[in-house]
Formats: sequence, structure tokens, C-alpha cells
Amino acid sequence: MIRTQISLSEQEYEAAKREAERLGISLAELLRRSLRAIVPPEAGPPWMRYAGMVSSGDARASQSVDDVVYGRKD
Amino acid sequence: MAAKTDVYVDTGALIAFADASDSFHTLFRRLFAQPPRLLTTTLVLAEGHGWFLRRFDTTRALQFLAMAQAMTPLRVQSVGSSEQRAAVALLRRFSDQPLTLADAVGLHVMETNRVRSCWSTDRHMALTGVPLVIHEH
Repeated sequence: MIRTQISLSEQEYEAAKREAERLGISLAELLRRSLRAIVPPEAGPPWMRYAGMVSSGDARASQSVDDVVYGRKD
Repeated sequence: MAAKTDVYVDTGALIAFADASDSFHTLFRRLFAQPPRLLTTTLVLAEGHGWFLRRFDTTRALQFLAMAQAMTPLRVQSVGSSEQRAAVALLRRFSDQPLTLADAVGLHVMETNRVRSCWSTDRHMALTGVPLVIHEH
């Protein structure tokens, strides 16, 4: 992740905060999702357009595949 | 003798590549950008498809399969009766571990294809001695 700073109008900021709250995500995540929807897929091999195609919100998503697919043992 | 392959790709690597939230996303994004010869199995694709069905929806699950089809360096090995037999033997050998059949088939095809590295986030995939890429980076 690269940290950066952006300037928003008060109106844009409030609108973005409301939308983030409505979706239950952070403002940063809302802005990342917005960027991904707008910025064209990066150049490179055709499969790279699928890199980061979803955002589950789970940092351990790839380590809990079995729990999701097969279910967690009681 | 099967053709030599550089890397075995497990379900977790594909999920980490596709999921921007995953802590290994950056690593696998970089690795898949310039991949060597890759190998996986139909069971891995079934697990990945199932994960997207459970976590998201049919649209995302189909996109996952489209992603795998677009990855031309990725060879998908079918799982037949011989792979199943070998995998069951591995499940018995490692019966103290919560290995899935997909894991065991993966361990078997890594051996038969003389794979040198495994792209996985699952420590069980190192049981037969093939190094996991997450430990090398």
C-alpha cells in the first residue's frame, strides 16, 4: 500500500463519508473502490485485469479458504 | 515422465491475487505479473469457484473461472483415478493433519511434475518438502 494525501471539498468529503458509512467500509476503502471502477485496467498480461477484482475486507481470506468452502468444524 | 513445471499454484494464491484485501495480495500480484510455468488442478479451481460462490455470488465465481482461463501460463491438470489413489495414500500418510483431497492431489502432482516451488498460503502444502513462496519473500 502507498499512503497519499488528497484534498476534497467539504461537500465531497461529507458525501463520501456518508456513502462509506452506508456501505460499512472506511473512507479509504470507498476511495480505492471508486478508483478501481474508474481507472482502466493496468497494462500487462490479460489476466492482470483480475488482480484485486474483489475486496472481501478479510486480510486472511486466502488462509481461510477451507473454512469458507468446507465449513468450520463445530 | 511428466513435463517439468516451475511452480504449483494452490487455491490460496489465486484468492490472494484476486482479493485486494488479502495480506498476501501485493506479493501474488507481483508474482502473477511475470509468472514462470504454472501448474494447478481442477480441484483447486473447484475450491476457488466455491469460495467465490460462498463469499460473493455467481457472477464473481464465473469471473474467477474466466481469470483462470485467461492465465495462459497456467496448466490445469485433470484429476483422475490414479491421482485420486495417490492422494488418498497421502491423506493416510498425513492423517494427523487436516488435509483436504485438493491439498493431497496438489502434493502428489508437485511430486510427479518435479515442481520446485509452491504458491500457497497454506502451510500444509509444504508437507512434502516443496518450499512455499510466502516463506521465500
